[in-house]
Amino acid sequence: MSFLRSVAGALVLARPLNSSRTVQTRRHIKRWVAPTLRELAHRQQKQGPQKPEPRAGYVEWNYRSELFAFGKRLGENFELPQLQEAFTQRSYAHQEEEKQRKLGIEEGDLKIADNQELAKMGSHIARAYVEAFLKQSLPKVPKEGQEAIASYLLSTETLANVSSHLGTKDLIFTTEYPPSPESLAESLQAVIGALADSSGVERAFLFVRDFICTQLNQKDLLDLWTPKQPVQLLEEICQQRKLGEVEPRLLGDCGKNTVLAAYHVGIYANRQLLGKGFGEDVPTATETAALDALQSLFDIHENRRPFDFGLQVETKNVRLGN
Amino acid sequence: MSNSHLFLKSGFPRAPLQNGLGRYVCQLQRITLKFCKNNGSSKGMRDFIENHLVDFAKENPGIVVYVKPRRHRTPVLVGEYLNGDREWLSCRNSTQEEITKWVDLLRTQNGSSSSLRLRKMWHTDVPSIQGPWTPFLLRSPEAHGQEYPSVEASKPLDAPQTATEKLIELFRQQKQLGDEDVLSQKRAE
Repeated sequence: MSFLRSVAGALVLARPLNSSRTVQTRRHIKRWVAPTLRELAHRQQKQGPQKPEPRAGYVEWNYRSELFAFGKRLGENFELPQLQEAFTQRSYAHQEEEKQRKLGIEEGDLKIADNQELAKMGSHIARAYVEAFLKQSLPKVPKEGQEAIASYLLSTETLANVSSHLGTKDLIFTTEYPPSPESLAESLQAVIGALADSSGVERAFLFVRDFICTQLNQKDLLDLWTPKQPVQLLEEICQQRKLGEVEPRLLGDCGKNTVLAAYHVGIYANRQLLGKGFGEDVPTATETAALDALQSLFDIHENRRPFDFGLQVETKNVRLGN
Repeated sequence: MSNSHLFLKSGFPRAPLQNGLGRYVCQLQRITLKFCKNNGSSKGMRDFIENHLVDFAKENPGIVVYVKPRRHRTPVLVGEYLNGDREWLSCRNSTQEEITKWVDLLRTQNGSSSSLRLRKMWHTDVPSIQGPWTPFLLRSPEAHGQEYPSVEASKPLDAPQTATEKLIELFRQQKQLGDEDVLSQKRAE
C-alpha cells in the first residue's frame, strides 16, 4: 500500500515536469502523526504517574473569590484577611520569608502571619464544645468513655476528612501538595478560630456541632470506646447504682469439646437479665455479655435513639476556661 | 446496562460528610463555562451568560463561577465538587434553556453522577434490625434442661403409631373399661 502511495506521490511530483500546469496542493496522509503519538505515550509511560497539579496553578483561579465562596458555602461570614491567615501554614510562611530575605527585603516588612495562633484557639473551642455536647447527649457514659469518643472526633484523621470535604484542600498555603492530613486538620481548627474571631464564639460552637459532632451519626460507639475489663467495670457500676450482685449464668451451649463450641451466657443482677453474649468459651462469652450489659446500662446500644444534632448546648455549660 | 459500564466506578447513593444533618452545604464548589465568542455552536452558552449567569452567581454565592472565552472551540461546562470530582459536559449547539437545566443538575448533585454506577438505589449501614439469627434464638423452654443422649429428643417428630403400639393402647383401654365395670357393679351391690 505504502509503495503504491509513494508511486502516486512520485507521479504527482513528476506531473509538473511533464505539463506546464501549476502544482496542485494535495492533502497528504500525515504519516508522522501515529509514530509521534506513540513516542509521546512511550515517554509518558516511562516517566510514571505524575503528581497531582495544584488547582491554584490553573488560569481560571481567583483566590479571593474562592475564599469568599468558602465562607458563603458554609453559611458563615468570615473576615477574608483572617480566613486567609487561617489557611497559611507555618512552613509556607517560613519559606516565603526566606525567599523575601534572599531578595533583600528589610526584616520589618518580612512578617507573614501564619495560622498557629488561630489553630490553637480553634482546637481549644472544638474540644470544649465536643466535650459539652457528649456530656449532654451521652449522660450515662462514664468520663473515660466520653473522653475516648471526644478524642476520636478530634483526631487528625477525622478533622482532616471533614476539612477536605469542606474544600480547604485547594485553599491551604503549604509547602507540599496535596496538603498532609496534619495541615488539613490544623487549618480546619484555624478556620474555627477565625470564625470565633469574626462572628463570635457562639457561631464557632454551631460550626463544631454541625461539622464535627455529626461525624458520630451511624457510628458504632463500641468501636470508638471498648472498656478494657468489662466484667470489673460492670461490677463497679452495679455497686454504684445498687442493682445487686452481678451473676453470669450459662443460658445454653452447643458443640461442647469440639472446635466449633459456642456458649451463650447471660448476666443477671437481682434476678434481672442485664445482657447476654456468645463466645467460644465461657470466659469470652461472659466478657461479651458484660459488654452487652454495659452498652444497655450506658445507653450506647446500636439501636439507641439517634443523636439529636439540633441540640442547643448552653454556652455556660461549655467549659472554655483554663 | 452496557458492557462499557463494567469498569465504571460503582457505589451507593450516599451523602458526603453527613451533609444535611447539621447544615446543608452545596457540594458544587466551582463551575467553569468555556465558550467561543463568535462560533455558532456557542450561541446558547453566550445567551446563558448574558441572561442568567449573574442571577445564578447571586443566588449561589458559595459557587465560584469562571467564564473562559476561547476561540473556535466547543462550549463546555466543567463542574468541580467538594469530594474532588470533576465533571465535564459538552454543550455544543445547546440552547440556553438546556444549559440552565444542566447547570441546575450540577448544582444539586453531590458528585459526578455520570461517572458512578449505582449498585443499588438504596443503602443501609444496618441491614438487620433484629441482629443475626443464632441457634439459641426462640428455643423452647424444655430444650434448656435436656440431658443427651435422650430417647425423647432423638425420635422423629412425625413418626406414625406402630401396629404394636395401637394394640397395646386398645388393650389398656379395654382393661380400664373392665375395671370401671367391676367398680360400677360393686357400687350397685
